[in-house]
Parts: sequence; structure tokens; C-alpha cells
Amino acid sequence: MSELPVLQVDDLSGGYSVGRPVLHDVAFDVQPGEMVGLIGLNGAGKSTTMKHILGLMTPHQGEIRISGQTRNDQPEQYQSSLAFVPESPLLYEELTVREHLEFAARAYNVDPEAYRERSERLLKLFHMEEKADSLSMHLSKGMKQKVMIMCAFVARPPLYVIDEPFLGLDPLGIRSLLDFMQEMKQNGSSILLSSHILSTIEHYCDRFIVLHRGKVLAQGTLAELGEHIHTPGAGLEQIFYDLVKDGE
Amino acid sequence: MELRALYRRRRALFWSKVLPYLPYVLQSGVAVLLLILSIAFAAWYTAFLRDLPPDLPIRWIMLLLLGPLTVHAGFRTYLQPADILFLLPQESKMNSYLTPAFRNGLIYKVPGLVIILLLLWPLYQRSTGVFHPLWLMLLVLVLLKALSTYGAWQELRIASLRARTGYRLLRWCFLLLLVAAWIWQPAWKSALFMLLLSLNYVLLLRFPLKHKVPWEHLIALERSGAARAMLVLGWFVEVPADGQKVVRRRYLSAVGNRLPWNPAEAYRYLLIKTFTRSELLGIVVRLTLLGMVLTGWNDQSWLGAALYLLFVFLIGTQLASLRQTHQDSPAASYYPLPAGARKAAVLRLATGLLLGIAVLLWLPMIVLPGGDPALTFGSLAGGLLLAWGMHSTWAHKWREEDDE
Repeated sequence: MSELPVLQVDDLSGGYSVGRPVLHDVAFDVQPGEMVGLIGLNGAGKSTTMKHILGLMTPHQGEIRISGQTRNDQPEQYQSSLAFVPESPLLYEELTVREHLEFAARAYNVDPEAYRERSERLLKLFHMEEKADSLSMHLSKGMKQKVMIMCAFVARPPLYVIDEPFLGLDPLGIRSLLDFMQEMKQNGSSILLSSHILSTIEHYCDRFIVLHRGKVLAQGTLAELGEHIHTPGAGLEQIFYDLVKDGE
Repeated sequence: MELRALYRRRRALFWSKVLPYLPYVLQSGVAVLLLILSIAFAAWYTAFLRDLPPDLPIRWIMLLLLGPLTVHAGFRTYLQPADILFLLPQESKMNSYLTPAFRNGLIYKVPGLVIILLLLWPLYQRSTGVFHPLWLMLLVLVLLKALSTYGAWQELRIASLRARTGYRLLRWCFLLLLVAAWIWQPAWKSALFMLLLSLNYVLLLRFPLKHKVPWEHLIALERSGAARAMLVLGWFVEVPADGQKVVRRRYLSAVGNRLPWNPAEAYRYLLIKTFTRSELLGIVVRLTLLGMVLTGWNDQSWLGAALYLLFVFLIGTQLASLRQTHQDSPAASYYPLPAGARKAAVLRLATGLLLGIAVLLWLPMIVLPGGDPALTFGSLAGGLLLAWGMHSTWAHKWREEDDE
């Protein structure tokens, strides 16, 4: 593991109003080439954490660094170092699938030749070749989600922040996404992934952060979390259930 | 909540979204143009009435104009997708919600019919043959419209798409036949005919299988009805994007593809793609064509120069609405766009388009013979100056807005 984490979150407190923080002293990091699962109940603060990382929300306290830099230090470099896949697809109705990919590639300053090669591969991988020239408004929810995922992957930044990516995806889409995330990871990219489908991410993530009521209850590898609840070898669902039950 | 009150509240909510735009509609150039066209039409129609061609098919003209207006029916129910969950349990009480929708569908379409009838009346008075008094003509047309509205309402409830289409065709045929009978035949004869045909039509409407409340069909119709209302508003002013129609325009797909490939130009790429598929493009093209015709028509006078400058200004005002494009979209904040790139892209595109259009609008003045060169070239200079002045105003205003 490299000494400088791709993502470093230190003592993060924040929320929608200053007097009522949603997050309380959240701290974790994501190392290069690591896939980290952010798990928690609805309202635990996963999306709020991600919004802080993206810079859509300002921390009340604490600091977030991507590749050692805060958003205030180098806003453009910070932003181009990460790609986000939101829980609900947010697309421009006026753009086709291919134009979305091109817009993302232009914004991330991807070399045009690399864009063409990547976009063709992604369209094929996610079975979207036939829809490449369709306006996004004519796509199903699952297809829109695929476009969001493809836009993130066409950019190839050091960090991916992915919120509930499996919602609406068909089984082939889920498999394609998981395989591609593995490939990106092997190429050195880091992924912070939130999902409720624990049985799936259990086999793919290197580490897990369990968030509950805005606080980190525990974090570590599956084995470390198993030891944390004094049940070595426990599955992620069992670990999560025990941790959250104790956190109540 | 009581269902009738819910309908009233939803209706008020819709109009509270629309009404704030009306002052802008009145101020907009298109409204002025419509007024000018109305005055021009009034002058032409008066002259036309004074010297009517002897073989003018007046009754056919009446059928052509009054027929579709009498038969056309449409409803705004303000139903929402979530109603399938929340209002479905109250389906048996939905009459109190839907009755006002049906009633308003009739009432608010009558004024249009009355206006056209009054416009046609001087023509009708000059026709030979059967003549009905104005009050009777109006009464019969409104009754026929009520019958058509009832038929259209029943059609909405028909379960089969094919039957629905068939009954729609039947309604148009029946009602057009009744309007024709009324226009051509004596009152007693056509009244008898109308009575018999209407009874048969109402009986026929009882046959097909119908939903009590056609939820999905009504929700889909409401969505397109609301979009259409916002679209009409969009001809005059910029309305929120949710009401905007996206037009594919495949022939413009390549526009914007050759922009320089860097993050600073990425937003311009998005903006150009959006503009080519927006209603705004349609508005700008229509205004440009109209401006070219009117400017060319008056190219030998000061009026031509004034119209030219007016159109440059009107189109500039429309182009300024590009500023609102994707302004509230959170998606843009997910992409690493350089600071100020959005404002710069809007300013550049709006100014470039306006300067180009200023030249286009001026072309008829130079191409058509007989214009005063000083006036012609002076107009161009004035138009380009105006366009650049608007650019400076936008830059200043938007900088202030960003600073706030």
C-alpha cells in the first residue's frame, strides 16, 4: 500500500444545518488500488459523507483530502481526481448516451483517442451499443444508471465514489460493473462504494466502513470486523447486524 | 382531503406556476407581433368583407372553422403518477374529483368557439339560403360541443385502444355531420336529425368495455397536457426545464462535435447540444425568419431599420435565457469544470449567435434592390452595436449575480 492515501477523511462532522450535524467525527481512508465498502442503514450518513467528499457540502469540522490535497487547495485538481456515480441517475435529457460519455471525457480532459477506445469498450461491456445514439430521456432507469457508471469509467480518475450502483441494474449489468471495478482496482484506481447488497460486495471489497447514525462503528477487513464482534469467520451480513444491533 | 378540494388545489397550484409568466408574455416580442398581425388581419378582413367574391363558399368555410372547434375536446385532470397508489382506494368517490375536470374541459373551450363564430358572423349574414339567428346558432354549437365533450370523456374510459380510436373517429364523423346539417338545413329538419343521431351516438357509447377511472391513461394525458401548456408558454418566455420539450433534430447531431477538446470547452459542448435540441432554437429560428420577412418588406424606409433593430433586440432577449440552461442541474457539479466556464460558455454562445443573426436579419435589406445605402449599412452597424451592447450588459449583470 502507498503511504499517501487517495482519499483521507479526518474528523469529519457535517450536515445540512450547523446546529444539527449528521456526521460525527467520521474518519477513514482509501488507499490506492483499494475498494472500500461504505455500509449502513438508511439515514446512516453514507450519502452525506459522499456529498462532503464531492464538495457538494461543506464540513462543519474536519478535512477531506484527495491525493493529499483539499478542495480549497486545488479545486479543479481535486474535482478531476474523482468521479461520482449517484444513487439516482442524473442525466441531461438533451444528450444522447454517446454525447454524455463525450461530455464526461471532455470535462476530465481524457485524450480523444483514449475516449473513443474506452467508450466503445464500455458500451459493449454494458450492452448499450444499440442505445448509444438514443437520447437519455428515452432510456429505462437501469440504462440511465449504466450511463452514469460509464461516464465515471470513461474518465479514469484515481478515485471513484459510487453510491448504490446496483439499483435498477440487470444481472448482466451488475456482473459487468463488478468485473470492471475489479479491473480498475487492479490498475491502481480506488473505489469507495456504498451498497445495501452486502452479500455481493462482501466478495469484492477489501475493507468495510460501518456507518451508523453518522458515526463510524467499525472499519477493517472482513476478518478484522469478524474479530471485532468476537465471531471470527462471520459473514458481512452477520457482522453488520451485530454491529448495528449493538449500536442501537 | 376532500377530492373536490384536492382538484381545486392542484388546479390552483398549476396556475400559480403559469401566472407569474404572463407579464413576461405580454412584454415579449411575439405578443407584440401577434397584436400587429391581429391588426393587419382586421384591416384585411374589413376590406375583404366590403368586396366579397360572389362565389365564396361561405358555408364550407364555416364548417371548416367551426366544425373542428366544436368537436375538439380535451381535459386537464391534474392527476399524478402517485395517485395510482393514494387515490385508487377512493375510486368510487372519484366522480367528485373528475366532474370539475369534465366541466372545465367544456366551459373553457366555449370562448374560442364564440370568438370564431362572431368573426364569421358578418360572412354568414352575406350568405344566401337557410339563416339561423346568432343566439340559436350559438346555442346549438355549444350543445353539440357538450355532446362531443361527453363522448370524448367516455372514450377516455374505453379499455381497448382500438375501440377508443374507433369511437374517436366515430365522434368526429357524427359531430361534423351534425354541424354540417345545422349549417345547411332548416332548423326543424336539422334539429330532428341531431336528436336522432345524438341518441344513437349516446347509446353506442354504452357498448364498449370501460374502466371506472382510466388511471394510467388519464395520468399520461395529464402529463402531455401540462407539457403542452408549458410549451405554449415557452414560445414567449423561458419556463422551467421540466416543461420543456426536447426535440431530437437528428440533422443537427454533428453541431458542436468539432469544439476544441479541453475542460474549458466541455460546458460549451453541453450547451450547444442542448440548444440544438431545445424549443429555444425553434423560437429563435421563427423570430429570425419573421424578422427577415418584415425587414425585407420595409427595406426602403426607416420602419425597416426600426424593425431590424427590434428583432435583434427580441432575439437577444430570447438568447439570454441560455443562462438558465442546466443552471439548477446538480449533474454539472459532478464534473470538473473550470471556474467560470459555464458563464463564459453561455456568453460566448449567446453573443456569437446574436451577431450571426444580426447579419442574417440584415441580408434582405442588402439583397433586395432599391434601399438607401446609408440606411442599409447604418442599420447593420446599429444591429451589430446593439448585439455587442447586449453582450456587455449580460456580462455585467451575470457577474453581479455571481458575486451576490
